[in-house]
Formats: sequence, structure tokens, C-alpha cells
Amino acid sequence: MEEELQSKATTMEATLRKKQQAMLDRLANRHQNRPKSTITDDSTSSSTAFSSKFSDSKRSVESQLAELPTLSDSCHLKSRLAEISSEISSLEQLVAESSYFLPSYDLRAALKSISDLKQSLEKLISELLPKKKFSFKNKSASKNVHTEPRETAKAEKSNPIITIPESPGFRNKQNEVLTKNFRGSEIGEFTISDLDSCEVRLIGSVRAAFINRLRNCKVYGGPVTGSILMEDVENCVFVLASHQIRIHCAKRCDFYVRVRSRPIIEDCGGLRFAPYCLKYDGIGDDLKEAGLDEESGNWSNVDDFKWLRAAQSPNWSVLDEGERVGSIQIEVLDNGNGKG
Amino acid sequence: MGLLSIIRKIKRKEKEMRILMVGLDNSGKTTIVLKINGEDTSVISPTLGFNIKTINYQKYTLNIWDVGGQKTIRSYWRNYFEQTDGLVWVVDSSDLRRLDDCKMELDNLLKEERLSGASLLILANKQDIKGALTPEEIARVLNLENMDKTRHWKIVGCSAYTGSGLLEGFDWLVQDIASRIYVLD
Ligand SMILES: Nc1nc2c(ncn2[C@@H]2O[C@H](COP(=O)(O)OP(=O)(O)OP(=O)(O)O)[C@@H](O)[C@H]2O)c(=O)[nH]1
Ligand SMILES: [Mg+2]
Repeated sequence: MEEELQSKATTMEATLRKKQQAMLDRLANRHQNRPKSTITDDSTSSSTAFSSKFSDSKRSVESQLAELPTLSDSCHLKSRLAEISSEISSLEQLVAESSYFLPSYDLRAALKSISDLKQSLEKLISELLPKKKFSFKNKSASKNVHTEPRETAKAEKSNPIITIPESPGFRNKQNEVLTKNFRGSEIGEFTISDLDSCEVRLIGSVRAAFINRLRNCKVYGGPVTGSILMEDVENCVFVLASHQIRIHCAKRCDFYVRVRSRPIIEDCGGLRFAPYCLKYDGIGDDLKEAGLDEESGNWSNVDDFKWLRAAQSPNWSVLDEGERVGSIQIEVLDNGNGKG
Repeated sequence: MGLLSIIRKIKRKEKEMRILMVGLDNSGKTTIVLKINGEDTSVISPTLGFNIKTINYQKYTLNIWDVGGQKTIRSYWRNYFEQTDGLVWVVDSSDLRRLDDCKMELDNLLKEERLSGASLLILANKQDIKGALTPEEIARVLNLENMDKTRHWKIVGCSAYTGSGLLEGFDWLVQDIASRIYVLD
């Protein structure tokens, strides 16, 4: 009986595995069959073409919006509104299609313009059309016109509490040197949080790192193959390598980083950036395995989500060469968890 | 506001589906879209605005809108709600600290009337990371069982790294949308 159950379970598992494999094969096929359609036209010329096209249609929408209040015939008004709205949609489509080659500033400016146009249109609709008359036959339009999200109900704490296991990491420490060697362990994530005046040394690589609430700390780390997510850090020095680095609410920190994509900052001030400079025995192999052996130069291509102008953001700068530390050397310890 | 939806409905081509991908920053949305489309995923920057991908999937054309999840640009999400057939909510299953944020943003989204007809696929991403919560655990944290009964939804564990779970999720989504909109008319 038990045996029967067990063999049933194994066949089920086997079919499941087969199914999963079939799915992955399908995914791989998608990869192979993809038409090589990457249009590699010169990105500056296409971005100029975009700009002029965008500003032309933006101007056209704006002038049409300005004319609207002068129209008296309400039928005519409706069709005009529909036309303008569709023009805004095309404009949006244009931005979406161009989002791959547009410089980040242009993209954000375009997003803002579209958002503004939509708002003006919505405002005009509510002003010019008495609500009752403006009822398209929309199945779900019977309810109120406003679609603003209702107040965030803060009282939603009622969800069943599940105990979340604590992930590996260093937490709640002061004035300590904390060392961890990830070599030979299963790759996972690592958390560093609530530290004051500590020095953290991480050897080997992890897939993801979370760094929260640090004051006056130094963090030296080997490569992260996914992303580093950081929030609320002050007066710290970081020496890190990762595929992505996302920095939130950081003040007065120095970053010596190597990143495959562009580092981003949000709600930050007083940050300085320099190239990665960590050394330990075997770091070359670790970096290579993580695909981080080459300097991409992205350490200085920082995107500030809070800065909407083309000019340099005041929230970060390049750390003067004269002020940089030379290189940081850390020791490799045999056991995973030693204190220095 | 019904206006935009009417226009889109008229313009809508046969067999086209509009899919909106949202979720907190860093959850893996862009990686997932590129992986499904068979593109290189080794260098991806955080999304500053949004990306759009048109993907042929089975006999359908999916217009996938991948909108950035950084706090600053979450307010733009609402610009993309109109005429959404499928909503994909991506969760970083290894980011235990922000599960509350994740729940709150999802709850807000589901109150949106313009999204009320959309099928909802929740992708519990990054299952390859040791220590990641399982889809069942994520479902409990997000309290999915108490969702509005009229909503079509499903949660699938996946990894944009290995590719596992992605097609299972999108297969369900596409079938669910198709059975709603194409069989009916
Ligand atoms: N280990 C692991 N890492 C993943 C997975 N999916 C994505 N990542 C990593 O997670 C990070 C964030 O991925 P993105 O695709 O940029 O995330 P996003 O949701 O688009 O983020 P925003 O654009 O800011 O909203 C990247 O470093 C990815 O390599 C996964 O399945 N497993
Ligand atoms: Mg993205």
C-alpha cells in the first residue's frame, strides 16, 4: 500500500519533471526562433528624430486642447476629445517604442509631458462635458467616473501572520568587525542591517544582497550576481561589485563600485563614486565567475531618479582621485564566520 | 474615464492582448520580459520609465508594458491601466523585508476600477535563490485567498534566471484572457 503510494508519487514527480523540461525546451526554442530583428540604426539620429516628432505632436495636442473651450457644439466637442485622446495615445506609443534608445533624461521628460497632457485632457473633459451626457456604452461604466485609488486602508493588518524565517546576515551590531566567507556554500541572499560603526568583510559571491540602516560603517564585498538593494545608510564607505546596485535614502557615503548596469540612486545626497578597489586571495576568479571581471566604467554612470534635469545631479559626484583610498586588502578566513 | 477605452477598443486588432507588468522595483520584471522574448538578460538597468515589448505568443500578439517600480515612478503606473487585459504582479520572493510594501501596493492596484476586468498572474520570482519564500507562502502573505471572488487569478513560482515557471504562468494568463474576450465575441 505504502509502496504503491510511493511509486505513484515518483511517477507523478517524473511527469512533473518531464513537463517542466518541456516548458524549458519551449522557452529555449523561443530564443532560437526569434527573428534577428534588432534594428541598429544610429541611436543619436533616431533620438533626434524622436525629439522633433515628439515635440511636433505635443505642440499639436496642446493647441487642440487650448481650442477646446471655444467649441460650442457638444457633439463636435466629443469627437474632438476622442481625436485628441487618440493622439495622446499615439504619442505614448511613440515614447514606448523609443524607450530603448532614448537617453534617460529625455525619456523622463517625455513621460512627464504625456502625463501632463493626459491630466489637462481629463480636466477639460470634466469641465466641458456634463457627466450625464458623456456616457459611452462601456460595460463597466455604470459606476462613478472617478478612478482614483481609494484611500490606502492602513487597517489591513488582518492578514494571517506567517512566520518568516530570518535570512542569513549580520544584524544589530556595534563596533565590530564582521567577516563571512561564502565560498563553497550554497548561493543565496545575504542581509546586512542595523549596524553602527562596524566593518563588514564578505568573501566569495552571493546572488542578492540587502543592506539597511547602517551608520558609520565600512562594507567590503566580493561579487553579487544579482542586485544589491540598499536603504537608509549614512556616513558609510562601500566597496562592492554587482550586476545591479540600487541605492535609496543614502547620505554622505562613498561608493567604490563595479556594476554591469547603471547604478541608481533615489532620495540621496552627498554621495561620491569611484571604481572598485577590493583585493583578497582569489578575488580575480570570483569576479570572473560572476561576470564582473571587466571594468564597465558604469561606476560613474549614476542615474538619479529624483533629478529630472539634463544637468548633473547635485546629489552625487565623482570622488576626486586624490581623495580615494588606494586599494582595500582583506584576509580570507577558512571558516565561514570569524571575527577579526 | 471611458473615453480612452472606447478608442482603444475600436483600434484593437484581432488576437491582440495588452499585458501590464508591475511590482516593486528589483522584483525582476524586465528580466522576465526579456527572458520570455529570448533576449540577453546579462545587462539590465533599473527601468527609468517603461518598456514595451510586442511578443508573438502562441497565436496571439502580446503587448507587454513593463513599467518601472522605483518609488518615484510608481505614480506613473496609473497611466497604463486603461484597457489592460492581463495584469502580471511580480514579487521578489527573496526580499522578505519589503513584503508589507508589496502587499500594500498590490492591494491598491486591485482597487483600481480600470483593472477590475483584468486577469491577474502573480509571479513569485527568484525561486532559484536559497531562502526564497515558496509561492504558497507568498500567497499567504499577500492574502490572495481573500481576493474579490470575481477576479481570475493564479500564482506561479518562477525564476527569470533559469526560466522555470515563466511559460506556465504566461500560458495560463493567455488562455484565461482568450477565454474571456475572444470566445465571447
Ligand atoms: N537570482 C535571481 N535574480 C533575478 C531573477 N530575476 C531577476 N533577478 C535579478 O534581480 C535584479 C532586478 O531585476 P530587474 O529585471 O531589473 O527588476 P525590475 O522589476 O525590472 O526593476 P525596476 O525596473 O526597477 O522596476 C537584477 O539584478 C536581476 O538580475 C531571478 O529569477 N533570480
Ligand atoms: Mg525593470
